[in-house]
Amino acid sequence: MITVGSDPGPPADPSIALELADVTRRYGDTTAVDGVSLRVRQGEFFTLVGPSGCGKTTTLRLIGGFETPSSGTLRFGNRDVAGVPPEERDVGVVFQNYALFPHMTVGENVAYGLRFADPPGDVSRTERVQELLDLVDLSGMADRDPDELSGGQRQRVAIARALAPGPQVLLLDEPMSALDAKLRERLRMQVRSIQRELDITTVYVTHDQEEALAVSDRVAVMNGGRIEQVATPRRVYREPATRFVAEFIGDNNVLSGTVRDVAAADDGTVGDRDDRGEHGDRGEHGDRVATLEIDDAPIRVALPDRPAGVDQGPVHVGDRLTACVRPENLRFDQDPDASRAPAATNALEATVESAEFLGETTRVHLRWNDRSLVGRTRDLLSGSVSVRFDPVDVHVIDVTDAGGDEAIDGRR
Amino acid sequence: MNVPASLLALGDRIRRRLEGHALAALAIPTVLVLAVVFYYPVTTVLIEAVVVDGTPTLATFRRTLQDPFYFGDLARLLAGESPEVVLQNLLSADRQLGIVGFTAYQAALSTLASVALGLPGAYLLARFEFPGRRVLRSVTILPFVLPSIMVAAGFVATFGRTGTLNAVLTAVGLPRLELLYTIEAIVIAHAFYNAPLVTRVTTAAWESVDASAVETARSLGASPLRAFVDVVAPQVYPAVLLGAALSFVFTFGSFPIVLALGGFELATVEVFVYRLVRDLEYAEAAALALVELAISLTLLYGYLRYEAAHTVRSRGARPLPRRSLRPPSGLRTGSLRELLPRAGLAVYVLVAAIVFLAPIASMVWASLTGPTGITLDHYRFLVERQQTGAAFQVRPWDAVRNSLLFGLAALAVALPMGVVVSVLTTREYRGRKLVDAVAMAPLAVSGIVVGLGLLRGLVFGVEIAGTRIAVGGAVAIVAAHAVAGYPFVVRTVAPGLESLDRSLTESARALGASRLRALLDVELPLVWPGVVAGAAFAFAISTGEFSATVVLATGTDQYTMPIAIERFIGRRLGPATAMGVVLLFVTTASFVVIDRLGGDHGGI
Repeated sequence: MITVGSDPGPPADPSIALELADVTRRYGDTTAVDGVSLRVRQGEFFTLVGPSGCGKTTTLRLIGGFETPSSGTLRFGNRDVAGVPPEERDVGVVFQNYALFPHMTVGENVAYGLRFADPPGDVSRTERVQELLDLVDLSGMADRDPDELSGGQRQRVAIARALAPGPQVLLLDEPMSALDAKLRERLRMQVRSIQRELDITTVYVTHDQEEALAVSDRVAVMNGGRIEQVATPRRVYREPATRFVAEFIGDNNVLSGTVRDVAAADDGTVGDRDDRGEHGDRGEHGDRVATLEIDDAPIRVALPDRPAGVDQGPVHVGDRLTACVRPENLRFDQDPDASRAPAATNALEATVESAEFLGETTRVHLRWNDRSLVGRTRDLLSGSVSVRFDPVDVHVIDVTDAGGDEAIDGRR
Repeated sequence: MNVPASLLALGDRIRRRLEGHALAALAIPTVLVLAVVFYYPVTTVLIEAVVVDGTPTLATFRRTLQDPFYFGDLARLLAGESPEVVLQNLLSADRQLGIVGFTAYQAALSTLASVALGLPGAYLLARFEFPGRRVLRSVTILPFVLPSIMVAAGFVATFGRTGTLNAVLTAVGLPRLELLYTIEAIVIAHAFYNAPLVTRVTTAAWESVDASAVETARSLGASPLRAFVDVVAPQVYPAVLLGAALSFVFTFGSFPIVLALGGFELATVEVFVYRLVRDLEYAEAAALALVELAISLTLLYGYLRYEAAHTVRSRGARPLPRRSLRPPSGLRTGSLRELLPRAGLAVYVLVAAIVFLAPIASMVWASLTGPTGITLDHYRFLVERQQTGAAFQVRPWDAVRNSLLFGLAALAVALPMGVVVSVLTTREYRGRKLVDAVAMAPLAVSGIVVGLGLLRGLVFGVEIAGTRIAVGGAVAIVAAHAVAGYPFVVRTVAPGLESLDRSLTESARALGASRLRALLDVELPLVWPGVVAGAAFAFAISTGEFSATVVLATGTDQYTMPIAIERFIGRRLGPATAMGVVLLFVTTASFVVIDRLGGDHGGI
């Protein structure tokens, strides 16, 4: 519905390390990757994230040369790599299951790629192996067998092995998912710092949206073989381009209703919070506010004047508008009368259905009319509560013209 | 002097291209060898069935199909008699089965016997823990390397007029039994070969049943028996069926056992094909061989279709815990549920010991005894025959030497072929199934047909572009042995390659290794035990091969140990068994190699 994912830019841009243009991969009747276009910049940590079966791993395998595109082009810099076998692509690959050669020691594993290429820099092969083992904190492990190592250590060997020949691109296919949670968090920060240190272009595949947000320069959210959005982690989180992204990345409350009124935000009901600076700039919001009607309740939404990568036209009364508000932006008042206060904007009377204690906060599931809402709070809530949120905390995902003459461009 | 960088890059590129196509380059000679020593000869034989004196005709074929000698009462049906009359005749007492009917009949009986003897073994191996279990499990591979003619000699030594069975019977005052040249002897000998196969495949399937599936069934309210019927049996019985299907196909085409234990009186199709070849009735032999091939292939195809539809594969399952053979509550106080299976197994072990050990023990015993008690006369005979034997007589050392030489040569051909085919059949591409079928066909085609084709084609000579090309008998024998042996290399190497994590090869390639380098550096070292086991198989198959060799070695001095045994067996059992012991020694050595290095070869 919304065309995203193609950052415009000149084709011969030297800052582009890797480019996929309309790449499709079919297996018989199923299309695993469906017209994917993306550009990865030099030295960028780029993450493909999505649910299982979304095509992220196939995309990575296409980049690695383990699969051939059914159509579309794939370029490393200016070089078209169609038909180039993996060994000539200059990529380093790390798989989920480590794929260490069990019949070789740790050192031999790391040295394997150096059989086919001279080590980068002016060092011998032995020195290079040592260098890499130092890099991943495994100095002194060179003579161990892979099966003597823990899962995290094996994965670090795999990373060292992939990096040893000094590849142009590092590909990581769910490298953490076989590890336990604490180790995963530590290792991902280590991977990130190694990536920064070497300044190596990295494509990372994960199904874990939290991991994707934590480590990436930019994230591509995939679904059903297509790219839903490519943006920085903050942007993907704050300004999801599609309903899928809104719901896949973190918790969200997606609201959909008909626009009843569009007005200037001059009545003091927008931006009444004083903690704005905490979340950075809010440049996307202009000075207009739409009022949606959802279940007879008026919901006020600050309209963006600089929407996220979308060529979005004006909003009209009668349009159907989809928006979302993050759980942490819901505020709660145990006193139900608060929502009846005449001045209250976006105040809903809801019932707490269940609560999950997560330590730092509690995730509360609420019912408002026939809808589910999810919120975050530090308070103990139960029964009826008043839920309020600021119109500027609402992000507009999509506006569908109700059929009037002014169809909104680019979204059909 | 500096070499220009562009030239270096060019050289590098050429090397990479060569390595990239090395697999194809290896595949081509493999295909050529297969075509020249298998497909071409077999085709010429089969064409003889339908082309007589240069004109295509189905006459020979029709005559064969309508000959009651071959097809019994079924032939009359094929000749156009009314089905009712034929059916009545079939139900009457004096029905005729014909050679084909008899072959199928003995194969069915042999299959039943193999399953009956094999299943309890699988139960024992899969569900009980006892000292020597692993050894016993690996011993089930033994039939594959035991030359059938040697086993036949063992059976003659056991069941013959003066065999050990009759010696035991007379000793305890019972009448003598004439089992030789009866179908019973053939069926027992076939069970000797195929029951371990049933045991092997069934044990493997049983061990792969996930214990948590059974535990789930039990927790949902199923009794142990119900859990077995509902969860275990459905996963085990496809394997039993595989064992039965393979047993039937093997015994349907069985040759040396039937030749030695049944003679021409109880001939199967294969024996008769051999007889027709010996009598130079090539067209009729070819027609009969074609019928046999059609039946075997139909059976195999039917089975494979079934297998494709029913195979359940569970990997990385936690196997069912093995029980101790000793009843947990002791012999006195143990419940019936504990004691009954164990008592049954005790009886089984006794029967199995007789079936499996008696022939070998009898053979060794017979080779060491004469009318006057223990003697080395038979071995002395072998030595004397070597020194004084006439030109037309079999010289034992020549047979041993030929066997070893052919074995090594066949190994040198079969091993690379098998590895290449394994690589080709474990990669994903369109038409892989066809490649698999084409490469595995030698398993289903009788050695007689291969031998006959090689004899009539390459040995008698082929005219290519005005030049007559003929190869020696030895080369043809090696070719036939290599064709018989390489599928076993594939069967030991391919499962290993298949189970290797794809990402290992991919990692190697991403690190700069070509496809060939990845194979040499990563895949082959990891499946090395399978490669060695395959080599031992190929060698053992060659030293034991009888069917093709007997066709190709007749009238030449290229005979091998199995041929020597067959020549001796009719006239002098003693030297035959002595020769058998020598062959047993060679085969056991191969087996030890397989067992030491092969690990678990679940593929067979």
